[in-house]
Amino acid sequence: MDYNKIRALLEKYWEGESSLEEEQMLRHFFVTHTQALPEDLREAAPMFQYFRLEQEKEIPQPAARIVPLRKSKPWQHWMKYAAVLLIMAGVGYSVQQFRQKQHELIAADWTQQDTFDDPEKAYAETQKALQLLSRNLNKGTEQMEKLSYFNDATQKIKN
Amino acid sequence: MSLELFHSQVMPIRPKLYRFAYRLLNNEQDAQDITQDAMLRVWNQQGRMAELQNLEAWCMRIVRNLALDRLKSKKYRNTELLDKADTMQASHQSNPHLAAEQQDVMDRVHRIIHALPEKYRTIIQLRDIDGFSYQEIADILELTMNEVKTNLHRARKAVREQLQNIQVYGLQ
Repeated sequence: MDYNKIRALLEKYWEGESSLEEEQMLRHFFVTHTQALPEDLREAAPMFQYFRLEQEKEIPQPAARIVPLRKSKPWQHWMKYAAVLLIMAGVGYSVQQFRQKQHELIAADWTQQDTFDDPEKAYAETQKALQLLSRNLNKGTEQMEKLSYFNDATQKIKN
Repeated sequence: MSLELFHSQVMPIRPKLYRFAYRLLNNEQDAQDITQDAMLRVWNQQGRMAELQNLEAWCMRIVRNLALDRLKSKKYRNTELLDKADTMQASHQSNPHLAAEQQDVMDRVHRIIHALPEKYRTIIQLRDIDGFSYQEIADILELTMNEVKTNLHRARKAVREQLQNIQVYGLQ
């Protein structure tokens, strides 16, 4: 091929104005040309040879993997089910415990209610209890009276 | 989009998407992951298919965005790319000395191109290796055609300057 034609094509190539066909011609020229090139054409030769090598380079192609979506089987999620069961068992147990305690409390309340069926007997018992209380209260006030005597005496001395 | 449509329109460009991802990432596993993610994203955004003018460019754009995210997240080192240069194969040469010399030159060109900013590198790859038209590149990179040409011109100019340095001074 005429070197001048190559020079003209190269000029277009460097400017980014060459067509794909012209670039193909350049690659073909620089790959197949075996004789010594003129000096001004030498710089481009390795580049076009590199492009050709890269074009021909075999890039290992992986096989397309089309993986069908697997339908999940129920037993694949056993941990989820186990967790739900565990939570349900826990909640059930605590509800049961709560209700049991409530029953016990209610039963205890019942035992603290009326202890006598007969109102007269109950009245007598209450009277007894109040008498005991008043007796003890009187004991206390007797002591307080002594204290007031003492207090009066100290007042007189002071005056 | 039906499964049939996906099979007939998207699946055929899968190898192209993979190659694109591979060139961007230079890593087989990452390229596979990105391609798979891109296919999923295309499937999930099937509602947009009707308004698309260029399905392939749209898919490529998704791959590029995913690959760039991956590059950012992984903080790829340039050396990873350079390491790959060693595995490149030069064209068959009967003379071992010549073959080694040519291998060396190819490695240098590889390094020059991979040292370019991502945008320039991608444009060169799309045009000079994958053979996309200016319009297709504009669609993929969401640029105007003039911007594509300008960037391509700058990218090639940068490569040319480096090649001249090698030529004249033998610099790497």
